[in-house]
Amino acid sequence: MSRIGVFVCHCGENIARTVDCAAVAKRLAELPGVAHSVDYKYMCSDPGQALIKQAIAEKGLTGVVVAACSPHMHEKTFRRAVSGAGMNPHFCEMANIREHCSWIHEDRVKATDKATQLASFIVEKVKRNRPLQPIHIPIERRALVIGGGIAGIQASLDIADGNREVVLVEKEPSIGGHMSQLSETFPTLDCSQCILTPRMVETYQHERIRLHTYSEVESVEGYIGNFTVRIRKKSRSIDEEKCNGCGACIQACPNRKSPNEFDTGLGKRTSVYVPFPQAVPNIPVIDRASCLFFRGRAKGAKKDVCKKCEAACGKGAIAFDREDRIIEEKVGAIIIATGYQLYSIGKEQANPAFKGYGEYGYGTIPDVIDGLQFERLASASGPTAGKILRPSDGKEPKRIVFLQCIGSRDPAKGIQFCSKICCMYVAKHTMLYKHKVHGGQATVFFMDVRAAGKGYDEFSRRAIEEDGARYIRGRVSKLERDGEVIKVYGYDTLNGAPVVMDADMVVLATAMVPQTGISTLAQKLSVSYDRYGFINEAHPKLRPVETNTAGIFVAGACQAPRDIPDSVSMASAAAAKVLGLFSNEKLEREPSVAVVNRELCTGCFHCQRVCPYGAIDRFEVKDRKGALLKTVAEVNKGICQGCGTCQAACPSKSVELEGFTDEQVFAEINALEWTGQGVSDEGGRR
Amino acid sequence: MTSTGFEPKIAAFVCNWCTYTGADLAGTSRIQMATNVRIIRLPCTGRIDPLFIIKAFERGADGVIVSGCHPADCHYTAGNYHARRRFTLFNDFIEFLGIDSRRITFSWVSASEGQKWADIVNDTTARVRELGPFSGYRDLVRSGLTGGQDAGT
Amino acid sequence: MRELKDLARRLLEEGAVKVVIGYEEGPVGVRPVFVTRPADAEKLVFNSKCVQNLAAYLSRRRGHIARLGKPAIVVKGCDARAVAGLIRESQLKREDVVMIGIRCGGVSLQPSEEGPLTPATVADRCGGCESREPKLADHLLGALPPAPPKATRMSELMAQIEKMPVAERFRFWAEQFERCVRCNACREVCPMCFCERCIQDKSQPQWIETSPHARGNLSWHFTHAMHLAGRCSSCDECQRACPAGLPLGLLNRKMAEIVRNRFEYQVSDDPTVPSPIGAFKQQDPQEFIK
Repeated sequence: MSRIGVFVCHCGENIARTVDCAAVAKRLAELPGVAHSVDYKYMCSDPGQALIKQAIAEKGLTGVVVAACSPHMHEKTFRRAVSGAGMNPHFCEMANIREHCSWIHEDRVKATDKATQLASFIVEKVKRNRPLQPIHIPIERRALVIGGGIAGIQASLDIADGNREVVLVEKEPSIGGHMSQLSETFPTLDCSQCILTPRMVETYQHERIRLHTYSEVESVEGYIGNFTVRIRKKSRSIDEEKCNGCGACIQACPNRKSPNEFDTGLGKRTSVYVPFPQAVPNIPVIDRASCLFFRGRAKGAKKDVCKKCEAACGKGAIAFDREDRIIEEKVGAIIIATGYQLYSIGKEQANPAFKGYGEYGYGTIPDVIDGLQFERLASASGPTAGKILRPSDGKEPKRIVFLQCIGSRDPAKGIQFCSKICCMYVAKHTMLYKHKVHGGQATVFFMDVRAAGKGYDEFSRRAIEEDGARYIRGRVSKLERDGEVIKVYGYDTLNGAPVVMDADMVVLATAMVPQTGISTLAQKLSVSYDRYGFINEAHPKLRPVETNTAGIFVAGACQAPRDIPDSVSMASAAAAKVLGLFSNEKLEREPSVAVVNRELCTGCFHCQRVCPYGAIDRFEVKDRKGALLKTVAEVNKGICQGCGTCQAACPSKSVELEGFTDEQVFAEINALEWTGQGVSDEGGRR
Repeated sequence: MTSTGFEPKIAAFVCNWCTYTGADLAGTSRIQMATNVRIIRLPCTGRIDPLFIIKAFERGADGVIVSGCHPADCHYTAGNYHARRRFTLFNDFIEFLGIDSRRITFSWVSASEGQKWADIVNDTTARVRELGPFSGYRDLVRSGLTGGQDAGT
Repeated sequence: MRELKDLARRLLEEGAVKVVIGYEEGPVGVRPVFVTRPADAEKLVFNSKCVQNLAAYLSRRRGHIARLGKPAIVVKGCDARAVAGLIRESQLKREDVVMIGIRCGGVSLQPSEEGPLTPATVADRCGGCESREPKLADHLLGALPPAPPKATRMSELMAQIEKMPVAERFRFWAEQFERCVRCNACREVCPMCFCERCIQDKSQPQWIETSPHARGNLSWHFTHAMHLAGRCSSCDECQRACPAGLPLGLLNRKMAEIVRNRFEYQVSDDPTVPSPIGAFKQQDPQEFIK
C-alpha cells in the first residue's frame, strides 16, 4: 500500500499568490495512498527539506511528491534530500505548479484546481515508481585518438599529461598533419614547423602515448568504456626497431622522380622516403608502387632488381617482406581528429556531391595552384627553398592574383558553407609574397573578408595598408593562358566594371572539406555525419566536442572548417571530456534506461531499428541443453540514453523505459478524470 | 467564460527537453494563458504512443496537445523523426474514423519558444471549446447509440 | 494441380521438408491442410477458391505446427508478402521455409464459392493485382491464368465514407464497432499478428479496454490498424474471418493508402526492403504540425 507524502510549496509569493496551497494540500490528503500532505513556504530551503526527511521517518513514507517549481530546477535537490533520509531518490518527483500554473494564470479558483490536478498526476505516477539503482559499467581508461594533426596531437598530450594512456593513430608516415606543410601561421606569422615540431617530438617521446603512424583504424566494436579497436599497421617495408633514421637508404635510391605528396606534387622524392626532414617518427617508408624492386617482383622478374637501399643500410633495417599487421587495442574513449583536405577543384571529386570548376584551368595551367601549394612554395623546407617561383618555368612571378571562395559558399558546386580560414590565409599569402618579392603586386578577388578572430582583422588590414595588397570585390569568371602569362577575367562590383588583368601566377583559395574516407570511418564508429562528411556534434551550441555516440568525441576540422587556435581549443576540450569520463573507476549512469522483458519479446526488432543510439542488441534465449528457443532484443544499459522510442515502436510493449513506464504514464492519464474537488466524475476514479 | 459555459479539458503530452522547458520559459516570462491544459511529461516525443491520446479521450479529455523538439533538434537525435511518422499516420487515420483531427494539436516547440507554447495552449483551448465536449467518444460505452443520436464529435 | 501434388510428394520423400502447408477440398469448401506423409500429397489442390492466407501458420506462435519441422508453403502473390514480412521481422529465416509459388488468376470471397469469378464473387483485393506471379518463391507452378475481374464493393464503401461529414463518419464506425464481440478472429487469422502477448491482453496497465462496447472496440481496431501500418499484406483475411461482418479490410486499406501517399511505400514481397515505419527522412511531411 502506498504512503505518499505531498509537500506543497508556497515559493514565497510566487505560488501562494495565485494558488491556495493549503487547499491543495488538504484536497490531496484525500487521495487514496496519500499518508501525509502539508504546505510550506520554501520547500527547497533547509527547514523545508528537513520537513521531508522528518515525514519520511515518522510516517514511513514510500514516496514523496513536491508540488513546487519545475523539476528542472530542483528535482536533484529533493532527490538528494530523500536519499539522505534513506529513501531511494527515484521515489521522489516534482509537480510543476509554478512555471506551469501559478505564474501563467490569474484566476485563483482555476489555478488552485489545476495545481491540485497536476499534483495528483504526479502522486499517481510516484505510486508506480521503482527503486532504480545507478548503473555502473566498467571502463577501460585509455583513449584512442584518430588523426595526428595539430588537434590529435594536442588531445593526445592533454590526456597523457592527465595521467592516462593514449593510442594515437595516424595514416600518414608522420604526424603533424597539414600544419606541418604550412610556411607561417596567421595572425602572428610564426613559422609553422617551429611551433609544431616541439609538440610532435613531445608526442613521440611521451611515455603514455603509443604512436602508430602509417596506420589506419580497421574496425571498432563495443561501446563507451569498452571499445575494441583493430588497427592496420601498414607495412613501411622497413624494420622500425632497427632503423636509426640515418637516411643512407634515401641517398642510395636511384628513383628521384616520384611526385612528393608532402610538397603537394610540386617537388619530387625517392621511392624510399621520409615525407619531410622533421618527420616524426624519422623512419622512412618504401613506396611499393614506384620502387624498382617491388615493381620488378610484380612483373615476375627472375632476379631481384635494384635493392640499393638494402646495400646502403648499415643496420639491416630494410625489410622487403614485411606485410601489413593488424593489432588490437582496448580503449574507453575515442577522439576523432582526422582534419581536412582541400577540395579538388577538378572534375574528379571524391565526394560525388561536389562539382569542380573547369574555368580556372587548374591542372592544365601549371601556374594556377591552390593554397597549400603556395604554402609549400613559401616554405623554407619546400621544393623551391622558400622562393616564390612559378612551377612552369621557375621564374619569379611579379604579379600574383588570389581568388577567394573557390568552391565555398557555392550551392552550384555542392558546398554551401564558408571555409572560415581562407580570407585569413590569403591575406597572409599576400604578405609572405610581398616580404619575399619586394616588387611584386598581389591582387585579391574577394566576396567578403571574414576576419573574426583575435588579432585577425588587424592582420587582414596590414596586408592592405602595409603590404600593398590590392583587394577587388568581385569574382573571376575565367583564367586563360596567354603565352607566358595568365589572363584573369574578373569583375569589380564596387566600381561596377569588368576587370581584365595579367597574372604570372594565380592562387585559388579552395574549400576545406573532410578527408576522403571519413564516411567509412564514421560508419565504423556509428557516428553520424552530414552531407559533406563533417562529423556531427551532439549539440551545436552546448555539446560541440561530443558526438551522439557515447564515448566518442570530435576535435578539429573534421567537424567543420576551423583554424589552428580553435582546433587546439577543441582538442583540449575533448581531452577534458575524456579525462572526466575516466575520473572514476566505473562509469555511473542515470538508470532511466529501457529494459526488455525477455518472456514477452517476440524478436521483431522494431526497437532495434528505431533506437537512435544502436543500443539494442540481439540476445539468444536458450534452453538448458543449449538449444535456441528464440532471439530477443536486449538493451545495452551503457549506451541507452532513455528516450523511449523503442517502447512506442514495440507493438506488445515488451520493452519499458524505467522512469516512464506504461504504468506510470497510464496513471497520470487516468488521473485526468479526477477534478480534485472531492466530487467523483461520471465513471469514477480508479 | 462564465462558470456555466463549457470548459474543455486538454491533456498535453510534451517532451522534457524542448516543449516542457519552453513551457517553463513561458512561466518564467509570466505569459498568461488558458487554464485548461494538463501537461504530462515524457522524455521525448518518440516515447509518445497513439494509445496515450486514445486513453486521454477515454478519460475525459476533449482535446490533446502533442509537442516536442523541432526536427534536427531532438535531444535524442532521432526520437522526434519516428514520432513524426507515427503522428502522420495517426492524424490521417483518425479523420477516416470520424474523429475530428482539430481536437488534436501537434506542434514543435523549442526550449526558447515560451510565447509559441502559450499560443498553442490558447489556440487549442479556443478551438476545442468551439468544437464542444467530446462526450460522444466517452459515451461510446453505451449501446443503442445508433438511431440518429448526435455523437457530439 | 498435378505439378503441385508431385512437387509436394517429392519434397516430403526427399526429406527436404517435414510438412507441406497447402489447401485441400473440404466439406464446405477449400480449407488449409498440413501434409506430412508423401501419400497425402494427393490431397493438395489449388483453384480459385483458395482465398486463405496460409502464412499465418508460419508464425512461431503456432508452436504445434513449428514442431512438425521445416515447412513448405503454398503461396499466392499476396501470401508471399506476408511471408516476406515474417522474414523481414526475424520471425522466420528464408532458408527455413520452402516457398511454392502459384501463378494466380484471383480468388473468390469465400472458400466455398464455386464457379468462375465475377465482380460479385471475386475477392476485393484481386482486381488489378500486380503480384500474380509470386517473386518470393523457390518453385513457381501453374500457367498464368487470365487477370481476375475487379470487385467494387470496398472501393465504393470507402468513397462513401470519405464523402460523409466527420460526425456521420463517427456514427458509421460507432455502429460497426458496436457489432464487434472481440472474438479476436481478425487477430488470429492475421499472419503479421505474431506478438507473444498482444497489447489487448496487457492488463497492467490496460491500454485497450477489453469490454466489447463500441469504445473498447474502437481502441482495439484503431491500434490494430496502427500496428499493421506498413506491414499489412492486404490479404483481407481479417474481414473474411470476422463473424460480425465488420469491414476491417477498409481500415487496413486506408492505412495502406496513407502509407503510400505520405511515405511512397507499398509493402513488398522482398524481405530485404524495410518498412517505412521505423525509418524516417529529414523531409518527412509535417504540414499538420504547428
